[in-house]
Amino acid sequence: MTYTVPLGPYHPALEEPYKVSVQCGGDTVQTVSVEVGYSFRGIELLAQRTGWVQAVTLLERVCGICSHVHATTFCRAIETLAAIEVPARAVYIRTLLCELERMHSHLLWAGLAVEYIGFQSLFMEVSNLREGVMDLLESISGNRVHYGVNRIGGVNRDISDIGPIVEQLGVMGEIIKRDVVPALMESRTALTRMRGVGALSPAQAVEWGVVGPIARASAIATDVRSDLPYLAYSELGFTMVTQSAGDVLARVSVRVLEILESIRLACEALERLPPGPLRAFEGMPSIPAGEATVYTEAPRGEVIYYVASDGGDTPARVHVRTPSFVNIPALEAMTMGQQFGDIALIQASVDPCLSCTDR
Amino acid sequence: MTPVDTATLAALFPSASIEDRRDGTWITAADLDVEAMARTMTRLGFRLSTMTGLAEADGETTIVYHFVISGHPVHIKTFTHGATLASITPILRAASWIEREIHDFFGVRFVGHPNLAPLLRPAELREGFFRDAATVPLQLTRWQTEQPS
Repeated sequence: MTYTVPLGPYHPALEEPYKVSVQCGGDTVQTVSVEVGYSFRGIELLAQRTGWVQAVTLLERVCGICSHVHATTFCRAIETLAAIEVPARAVYIRTLLCELERMHSHLLWAGLAVEYIGFQSLFMEVSNLREGVMDLLESISGNRVHYGVNRIGGVNRDISDIGPIVEQLGVMGEIIKRDVVPALMESRTALTRMRGVGALSPAQAVEWGVVGPIARASAIATDVRSDLPYLAYSELGFTMVTQSAGDVLARVSVRVLEILESIRLACEALERLPPGPLRAFEGMPSIPAGEATVYTEAPRGEVIYYVASDGGDTPARVHVRTPSFVNIPALEAMTMGQQFGDIALIQASVDPCLSCTDR
Repeated sequence: MTPVDTATLAALFPSASIEDRRDGTWITAADLDVEAMARTMTRLGFRLSTMTGLAEADGETTIVYHFVISGHPVHIKTFTHGATLASITPILRAASWIEREIHDFFGVRFVGHPNLAPLLRPAELREGFFRDAATVPLQLTRWQTEQPS
């Protein structure tokens, strides 16, 4: 017997709205269609009616999780377009926040993922770790979510006392190695529930054009931090994490191991924080006519900003391509032929961000 | 290291202008066979990152195809004719949602797209509403109806 089940837009597994219509034969998924657009806010259009400086604040609100990445990428696009050299200290502070943001995004996702498989005790442990990262972000920026650190040509805030931050990151790393890595990558509960579920082959990953941890879990070695090094990544060195199975377990493994690499990068950025100014200039910038496209590795994968200027007070065009926009369609390939009961887990493994996708 | 250098790209797109900039190689071709271009870029191993639409004053739209290979971005710019362009979705599946979004925002008809249904466009707005918004105030029906009388 064939039947169709609509999942969402008010969702059993996610807080954000989108709709997955699943047609099943028995318990086996036969066709899948995805609908998005329930969170559309027209941010690209608003940015074109907003001054350059105000647009930084606006674009930081594309996403509540990877907000710093959006502000950073927008600023980098303007700086590329206007040939503005950002001071080294500002570059390192941006890098530090990118990695702390990746940690808190991956920890949030890991917490939700283990909750879906019924691992409540680990959910509490991971949430506690994430809270520690949020505390660090608040101590650095004054904010828990939208940090407001970026400005065109540099950053708004300095870091004075790096010792406690490095110490806190070290403690977190030990807890993650001791508790989280074995629980997610070796425990029978996790392996039984996630191994072989929702696999995306390397060929399918290329076909659907997926990015970030989804691509790396399918043996596609792509990461903007090494492909197109930006900020301080070429100086800090970077080890890419890949897995080959392409299933939910592989996506979990990539993200967990990336948290450890983020801790290393954050500590390294702090210990090598160069002296000097925080911004290239004071006052309002003058942006010449031109266009630029820049790439950044957000927690969910490659973010692209295309920014055009006609020399006026507002951007002539801002186009934002988020990783979820290209990862979500691949749900079709991941869920086809799978058990209906695994749909919630498979879509959670994509870590879809509808706020980013819809903008 | 660029696996596909500028000379190779110039040979592939003889009628195009090619420029190396800080953010990659930019290729501009007014009359581009986008289907042939998509096949060529796929054969060379490029990944389609995204496409950008830019509204022009004459009602046409500039379309930029953003490709990347081994860390080298290549941006290919062309233009619609009669608000129409061939779809590359049958060649590159990853283009499907991108073309639907550009159709929503700028009203470009991608000929050959298997399902050019609205992706992000709210039901109360017509296709090409980004273009409309540049010249006329947006008509936000829901907002208007929710105002206290």
